[in-house]
Amino acid sequence: MNKMRLMFTSKLENEAFARTSVVAFLMPINPSVDEIMEIKTMVAEAVVNCMIHGYDGKEEGDIQLDVQYDENRMITIQIQDYGCGIENIDLAMQPLYTTKEHLERSGMGLTIMSTFADDFQITSTLERGTTVLIKKQLHVESEEEK
Amino acid sequence: MKHQYIDGTLYFYFYGDLDNLTVCNLKDICIDLIEKYRPKMVRLDFEEVTFIDSTGIGFVLARYKQLMKSGGELVICNLSKANMTLFHMSGIFQIMKYERNGVKL
Ligand SMILES: Nc1ncnc2c1ncn2[C@@H]1O[C@H](COP(=O)(O)OP(=O)(O)OP(=O)(O)O)[C@@H](O)[C@H]1O
Ligand SMILES: [Mg+2]
Repeated sequence: MNKMRLMFTSKLENEAFARTSVVAFLMPINPSVDEIMEIKTMVAEAVVNCMIHGYDGKEEGDIQLDVQYDENRMITIQIQDYGCGIENIDLAMQPLYTTKEHLERSGMGLTIMSTFADDFQITSTLERGTTVLIKKQLHVESEEEK
Repeated sequence: MKHQYIDGTLYFYFYGDLDNLTVCNLKDICIDLIEKYRPKMVRLDFEEVTFIDSTGIGFVLARYKQLMKSGGELVICNLSKANMTLFHMSGIFQIMKYERNGVKL
């Protein structure tokens, strides 16, 4: 088992830092090109949600990112904010549902995360914050890859 | 991003990581260019785009709506396999055209 934790401010430029850091941490276990793309996208979706929704664009909130992987190549990513929370998670999960259409959001972030993840969970408390938990099983490495 | 205007068509060519911050920085420029040229057609080319997320989908939907007001048409061009997967999830191709290749800058 190996793990890492990052805590960063909800400044927009930190989203690129977050997704590239996760991928850099996972390099020792050789994710495939497709897996890297899906992981980057899920992290981006979750972090942008913390920034845009959790903290309503205010760039002084804290975002915590935890990543770990085990000997079976199961990756767990947890992304947490301490922002406004989600009133109705079932509604939020609906494809194309967004509370920020005026900011040109599409309402696809949660759908994309749950599609790319092998297991996806979201918990939220109003005025306390939101946590998403993503599990992703990496492909079995062939002998050449090792 | 590069753009060019030929015969009523406004072309946008995006490249690199089209993430939330990048879209935030490009959005107003695109809105203003469409406003300025009032094109019959806008073509958004994603050939050189290495990363995109739902922010990009929101951006495309918003430009589609912007163009609808002036009766213009929007075409999405040259998505990579991974980017295509993402756009498909949104059902965007039920309302917008998709093409490969086309005029390159
Ligand atoms: N971290 C969060 N804190 C508070 N509300 C959230 C959070 N994440 C999601 N939401 C709520 O759930 C809705 C749906 O989220 P989702 O990511 O699917 O779409 P979006 O962010 O609105 O648009 P897109 O992701 O396509 O840009 C949001 O509009 C918002 O109301
Ligand atoms: Mg989102």
